Amino acid sequence: MKQRVPISLTVNGEIHELFIPPWQLLLDTLRDELGLTGAKRCCIEGQCGACTVLIDGKPINSCLYLTIEAQNQEIVTAEGLVEDGKPHPIQKAFVERGAVQCGFCTPGLVVATKALLDQNPNPTEDEIRIALSGHLCRCGAYVQITEAVMAAARETAQKEVGV
Amino acid sequence: MNYLRELPKFEYLAPQSIPEVCEMLAAHEGEAKLMAGGTDLIIMMRRREVVPHYLIGLKSVPELNFIREEKDGGLTIGAMATSWEIQSSSLVRQRYDFLAKTAADIGSIENLHVSTIGGNLCDGFPCVDFPAPLLTLDAKVKLVSQRGERIVPLDGFYLGYQKTAVEPDELLTEIQILPHNHRYGGAYIKFHDRHAIDITTTGAGAFITLDSDGQTARDVKIALTTSAPVPLRVKGAEAALCGRKVTEEATEEAGRIASEEASPRTSWRSTAEFRTKLVQVLVRRALRQAWRKVTTSSSSGAAPDLWLMHPLDPRIGENR
Repeated sequence: MKQRVPISLTVNGEIHELFIPPWQLLLDTLRDELGLTGAKRCCIEGQCGACTVLIDGKPINSCLYLTIEAQNQEIVTAEGLVEDGKPHPIQKAFVERGAVQCGFCTPGLVVATKALLDQNPNPTEDEIRIALSGHLCRCGAYVQITEAVMAAARETAQKEVGV
Repeated sequence: MNYLRELPKFEYLAPQSIPEVCEMLAAHEGEAKLMAGGTDLIIMMRRREVVPHYLIGLKSVPELNFIREEKDGGLTIGAMATSWEIQSSSLVRQRYDFLAKTAADIGSIENLHVSTIGGNLCDGFPCVDFPAPLLTLDAKVKLVSQRGERIVPLDGFYLGYQKTAVEPDELLTEIQILPHNHRYGGAYIKFHDRHAIDITTTGAGAFITLDSDGQTARDVKIALTTSAPVPLRVKGAEAALCGRKVTEEATEEAGRIASEEASPRTSWRSTAEFRTKLVQVLVRRALRQAWRKVTTSSSSGAAPDLWLMHPLDPRIGENR
């Protein structure tokens, strides 16, 4: 049985050539091999959403995804949303609206919000709640989180029309 | 419970085609496990409930992922179609809105993008959601191995708790739904605690085709989730409705018969008594919803044009 296999992983636009155990989960590769600790190790059974990352733009639980199956796809973590050292409008809105309290659920929520707004740039409050229903916030900042997503949506819309 | 962060060690195999999967299954019979989405299997491996020597990943087999209309008007869904792809497919929404809704309600968005219909069917647990609505649609599955292929009706596919008709060397490749020539309507309603991610406490699906008189039910199918060791068709309740108008009294009677046919167990999630009561109520609601669709819509009851259908969405209407 092979203890390690060579793989190629594209994370936040960078290609990484890695040598990993085939049974390694994407969450562990991101955190332990690549030092990307945005995705959080929490329930490790797909209940809490803290480990959420994007694969080809779709949010998935990285605790339930084999790294070996994530090859040849674009992986984006919360770290990857930062542009030129500046926080993404979604990240900014989360900070400004008090949606970040202890911060543990934030990276997962931020990337899930990115996926939502890419698909639906002007979501209603209900649509936001549905899209983020797989995320638990232990501080209970759900109201602020919803407001932050709405603010981020407005910000992005304004940017697009050049206001 | 033995619950470890790391998965047990295995050799990972990435076939590119259905024949390649069959070859691997035959070569490693009894030592290999197929992995579709893996959202359940990974947890079972963490618990060491499943410790395969070879893990055959199916995400690398593109020919397993499709949703298509057949020449005869039937619908075929590939085993690796994800819950997300099914819930957002305009074909599924137009034909069987309740099947699309079942897919949308499987779990969180993160889960929908990974979990697959084939994985859901082959799990063999009575609590998974796809079997009941598919049973009401008289769906069949195609099983392929090096020995050949066979078509198995879903009614009869489940042999016992976690036991399916799939032989160790076989792969479920697709789900087939034959066309319906009469007006029809269906519904699947489930009871569960946390709407985003939860295992179904009890669920009921109903599918009604209307007779050409436009007044009575030509055919009724009812199936239950988490109400027996296997996903269950309740044929006594179905028979009680065939050829009748689906009135309030009729749905009540069907619900009562269905609850007598069910044999749910007590678990930490719910007592058997509560589940039996739920069957009665959910069957009634599913029938009421299906009947409303079949008698009010011009065709099949097209799904509302939503970017996503979800139990929390107020526009879905009566769900709880």
